[in-house]
Amino acid sequence: MNILELIIEHINYLGAAAVFVIGLYTVVNHTNFIKRIIGINIMGTGVFLFFIAIGNVVGGQPPIIDVNNPDVLFINPLPSTLILTGIVVVVSITVYSLSLVIRIYETYGTIDQEEIAKIQKRETDHD
Amino acid sequence: MLDVIVKTITRIIVPFTLLYGIFIILHGHVSPGGGFSGGTLIGTSLILYTLVFGVAKSKKKFSHRMSEIAESGGILLYILIGIVGIIFAGSFLSNIDAGFSIGIPGSLFSAGMIPILMVGIGIKVASTFITLFHTLIEGDFE
Amino acid sequence: MIEQLPIINLLLLLTMALVIPLFKKRSINTTTTIGFIVLVVVLISSILILNHVHVNGSFVYRFGNYSNVFGIELLINSFSAFFTLFIIALVIPVYLYSTGDATEGVAEKEYGRYYILLFILLFALLGIVYTNDLFNTYVFMEILAITTCSIISIKRKKENYTSAFRYVMLNELGSLSYLFGVALLYMITGYTNIDLVSQSLQGVWQLYQANIITAIGFMVVGIGIKAAIFPFHIWLPDAHSTAPSSSSAILSAIVIKAYVLLLVKVMFRVFGFDILDSFSIPGIITVIGATGMIMGSVFAIAQKDIKRMLGYSSVAQVGYMVLGLGLMSGLGMKAAFFHIVSHGMMKAALFLSVGIIIFHKKVRKVEDFIGLAYQMPFTMVVFSIAALGLIGIPITSGFVSKLNLGLAIMDSGQWFFIAILILSGLLNAIYYLPIIINAFLKSRTETPQLMHLEKVPILMVVSCFFLGFAILAVGLFPNALLGLIEAAVQSFQ
Repeated sequence: MNILELIIEHINYLGAAAVFVIGLYTVVNHTNFIKRIIGINIMGTGVFLFFIAIGNVVGGQPPIIDVNNPDVLFINPLPSTLILTGIVVVVSITVYSLSLVIRIYETYGTIDQEEIAKIQKRETDHD
Repeated sequence: MLDVIVKTITRIIVPFTLLYGIFIILHGHVSPGGGFSGGTLIGTSLILYTLVFGVAKSKKKFSHRMSEIAESGGILLYILIGIVGIIFAGSFLSNIDAGFSIGIPGSLFSAGMIPILMVGIGIKVASTFITLFHTLIEGDFE
Repeated sequence: MIEQLPIINLLLLLTMALVIPLFKKRSINTTTTIGFIVLVVVLISSILILNHVHVNGSFVYRFGNYSNVFGIELLINSFSAFFTLFIIALVIPVYLYSTGDATEGVAEKEYGRYYILLFILLFALLGIVYTNDLFNTYVFMEILAITTCSIISIKRKKENYTSAFRYVMLNELGSLSYLFGVALLYMITGYTNIDLVSQSLQGVWQLYQANIITAIGFMVVGIGIKAAIFPFHIWLPDAHSTAPSSSSAILSAIVIKAYVLLLVKVMFRVFGFDILDSFSIPGIITVIGATGMIMGSVFAIAQKDIKRMLGYSSVAQVGYMVLGLGLMSGLGMKAAFFHIVSHGMMKAALFLSVGIIIFHKKVRKVEDFIGLAYQMPFTMVVFSIAALGLIGIPITSGFVSKLNLGLAIMDSGQWFFIAILILSGLLNAIYYLPIIINAFLKSRTETPQLMHLEKVPILMVVSCFFLGFAILAVGLFPNALLGLIEAAVQSFQ
């Protein structure tokens, strides 16, 4: 019972860590470039979930001030602000990698890493 | 026939989505949202316009030159407000100390310089989206 | 007024990058001239800041006068002032060099792109060194990742794209791993400011040992991927082999060092000696450094392309710096900082001279260097000075840094690393000396044995010369530099 209580109490953190590890597995294991970019996004989502779960206060309201009712327990607004910036950063990296993938597809005709390695090896053998 | 339906509906909807995006940008200090999400809404509605009506018509309305000016102008506005903070209060991005009026918390004209920064960020994000979409969809990067 | 200079530096660089797209009808020369003026202004203000810090002590700059519990803060002490001066002073010769090289092979409408990327890269570099907030560091790290990756694949060649893609993927893994470490620290302390985090950690680190060891692991791996420390260096040689020479010089001489500086900040200012000692981290870091020193050189010996060889040599030299940091003493840090400065100059001189050779002769393989000194004497002289410096011959700055590192190892009593130092010096000689000997002493049968000046743009030769001269000057009179570095080390005690 003790282990089960421990897991349920920290379920937010365990879930975020699990998402991070799933993203890492996707980046490392798959050879298709688009799947790797999706893996980076999943990893980013895992880290951001971890950050926001830290800011949670049990029984708190979303941190928006209502002028009629100012004295309410709020959750910590600071991690949410940081994560807003973080999401924009991950989106811009995704956009850049996708434009690189379009160029790679135009040049080699495939977006699988093993096939590209074979094509490159054939080219350097010709030199 | 499907073409006519899509074009008519888009022509009706795009102004409302643009208005909603501007609403989210201007109310960044009162409700959740702010520059990034409002800019994304404006950018996405312009992408919808491009998808339905074609790249040529969209380039006539939002030319490359205009989005270049919008991108630089957004951040230059941000830097300018920061420098106003340096001149009047000795620190970059000062709010109350630099003389911006605070107003009543919770109303639209409040919180000093934050709405102006949000407008700058919103313009920049929207123009970034439309530039990226035009570049990716043309396939010709030269 | 002096207190505002750091933020004015950052804003000047960012504004220059934003204004370049608006110069629609001007020529490229206007852009480069205005850029050079901006760089000189930033250099003068960095010298003024360094002077102010040495006279009056360090100071803190808060954005918007908010308290550091939730605001952004820049810390300007002797460490950050000295290293921002070093970064700007090293960029100016590379910038002058790039005016000759960066526009070759690029379409006319896009000449300004290289400089936009360069100025945003400088903005992010200065930001990483100045800032005192862990999350702000993450944002600057990502800006640096995108701009570096774009600047090395600026010429539209085929092999660029896959190496750039691998670089982006590995960089992203590193950044997200670093951010996970910051999240773990935020969980214990509730702050992201470096001073507040270290203050809270000192009191309570006994209770949260699992958190802290995991955070140290994530952050060191994340920064290690980006600084090309040994097991995580895979992206560096591929990134160098297809990049234009000024971008390779910026990447290998400056960008990697900024991450080593970030490692110094994280290890010594956030965690501190006691916490790291109790988890026996110094032993791990010295072993990683020593392995990098040996394996980097071993891989470099096997390379045929000159730029890949220089890339692996960078991996070995970063191993020196990490070894110096892992000794956890004032002497070790002094040796590591001096090696950052001198290796920056030497690697930049190497890449720029190789760039002139590729620009003029279009050869890239090591065996094509035979007899090259007769056709390009000045370039080969600069190359030889820098290569001898990396081996560790006296009168160059490389000798002084190796001497300091040897003294630091002897002072800490771990005699095994002296053997590794000597062995890696020998390995360095094995792949640099044949190039110099081939160039100067052997000859080709079809070219005459007359020396004549090469016809390359004058700015490229001038900047190479300036770097070669600086290497010799620092080697002969190192005391001024050592004094500044000693002050930088003092800020960590």
